[in-house]
Amino acid sequence: MPERIRRRSLTDTALWVWGAVVFVFLFLPIAVIVLYSFNNGRLLASFDELGVQAYVSGLQNDVIIASVMTSLKAATGTALLATVLGTFGGIALARATKGAKWPVLLTALLALTLVTPEVVDGIAMLPWFVTLGVDAGLTPFNNGLFRLVIAHTAFSTAIVTFIIRARMAGIDSSLEEAAEDLGATKWRSFRDVTLPLAGPGILAGALMAFTLSLDNTILSSFVQQPGYTPWPVYIFSAVRVALRPEVAAISTAMLVLTLLALALVGLVLKRSGNSSSQIVKTMAGS
Amino acid sequence: MTSRFRKFLGDSALSFPTWAYMLFFFALPVALVMWYSFGFKPDQFTTHSMEQLSLGRYREVVSPTFLSVFTATLRISIVGTLACLVIAVPFAYWLAVKVPPGRRGLLLALVLVPFWTNFLVRTLGWQIILSPDGFVSEALQGIGLLGSPLDILYSRAAVQIGVIYNYLPLMILPLFVAMDSAGVQLREASADLGAGKWRTFFQVTLPLATPGVVSGCLLVFIPLTGDYITASVLGGANGTMIGQLVANQFQNAQNWALGSAMAVVLMLFTLAVVVVTALLALVVKAIIRYVGRVELPTGQHAGTDAGTAADLPEGSRVRQAEPAVSGTTTGGPHA
Repeated sequence: MPERIRRRSLTDTALWVWGAVVFVFLFLPIAVIVLYSFNNGRLLASFDELGVQAYVSGLQNDVIIASVMTSLKAATGTALLATVLGTFGGIALARATKGAKWPVLLTALLALTLVTPEVVDGIAMLPWFVTLGVDAGLTPFNNGLFRLVIAHTAFSTAIVTFIIRARMAGIDSSLEEAAEDLGATKWRSFRDVTLPLAGPGILAGALMAFTLSLDNTILSSFVQQPGYTPWPVYIFSAVRVALRPEVAAISTAMLVLTLLALALVGLVLKRSGNSSSQIVKTMAGS
Repeated sequence: MTSRFRKFLGDSALSFPTWAYMLFFFALPVALVMWYSFGFKPDQFTTHSMEQLSLGRYREVVSPTFLSVFTATLRISIVGTLACLVIAVPFAYWLAVKVPPGRRGLLLALVLVPFWTNFLVRTLGWQIILSPDGFVSEALQGIGLLGSPLDILYSRAAVQIGVIYNYLPLMILPLFVAMDSAGVQLREASADLGAGKWRTFFQVTLPLATPGVVSGCLLVFIPLTGDYITASVLGGANGTMIGQLVANQFQNAQNWALGSAMAVVLMLFTLAVVVVTALLALVVKAIIRYVGRVELPTGQHAGTDAGTAADLPEGSRVRQAEPAVSGTTTGGPHA
């Protein structure tokens, strides 16, 4: 018996050590970036002296600020558009009549967008925007911000749809039927019953679309227009020239803001009575 | 409106905006790429011409350069996916089973912090860590483990580390969800029936996590294969990935026809991998079912394979997102 207990604690210890090692691995580069954002030197990679010079000059750099703003605007637009499309799509899929053909087709189409490599989306979007904007004369398609929102939405709608479908699939449709039995019109039952029920899923979907858009580099580098360079594309072009500590400083500031926003969302979900594991899973879109 | 038409459309009205958007901004442009792949580049200043349709670009794609980059990409993405799996399985198990439930939420949130940090910035962190005159290199030399500066940046090894790091959270998450939703009861039941820890893990927990393993592998493999950002930051000239070749045809060489053909090949290849993975998962599941079956002495075969995924109570899977792979996981009752 004692032998068995000791053996069990050995695998347990190994698992705890492994957990710690993976956490160190996950946080190592982030810690490095945060640390190097306090580098007063001229180049990011060679640490000179400790200071906040990078933050000061980063916030005064118009090009950097403009690209961060472009990214934030594009991410907001994408979150709005993808959430609307994903909510409609997700609810329709979850509430489809059994045996109908269109849900299978729509799921297949959305799954196809997920298995398509991002570079393919990029090279497909570029000629398409040129066709629409220049040849067909639809001028919005020549606007950099509009292009980013449209492209990022095409890229993230599938995930939002699947998150909301999963959320609605777990909810009994008799709730909506009850509302209609009690005299609510189809629209009222949708607005007052279905949408609030889908709430956490919608929030998670919006968050996911926002993050995907904010992080997107490959697709953006194809569809971007002069004057609307998003932040990741700016960094990627800086990698090829010379990286200055400002990049780390602004990224650290953005990370802190993101984490604050996420904590806020977590708080909102907690007040609606979810357990902490559930909250994180909702926010991660699972 | 005929009744047949109505029957086909049914309650799909709500999904029309999604349909329209995905067809117009995904299906159409991708179809356009496929069309371009049959064209050619007539002269230096034109990106493509469709006057003569041929399969010539596909023959050009199958060149030694392309094939060598293709194999290298494949090696990096397969090794990367497997490494993520090997790292994530014990980790997700630890998180879902060993960590007290009260702290699980916080730790899971921590796993996601890298996920919410910019992809490129994380990669830059690795560039600093692996750099020959960085602090890791100096520390390793200081304690005498290395005789000369660390020589790993701008090599395939650096790319491999970078992609494993960048895609690891995408593997941990579905695995955690799958192991967590299996619940503690089934593991306790297995222990009560006399199975040891390892047996419970391999015959109960892991088979139940199969959908998570499948979606995790696809979530890692697909973007990893198309990614060239990580590779160009950490691998430099040695880190050319297949996505870079495609991008070059559009951004530098201005040869849309050849670039399109490469893109189509890449897309078909990714699709093929997804299909093969799905089939393999089915086979593995059947094998696990066969090997793991329990012969009851009474000769009653009903319920003999309670440990396989198919026998999971439906309710326990409802909350899974089944993100990329709704067709390949077993699918909930509402799929």
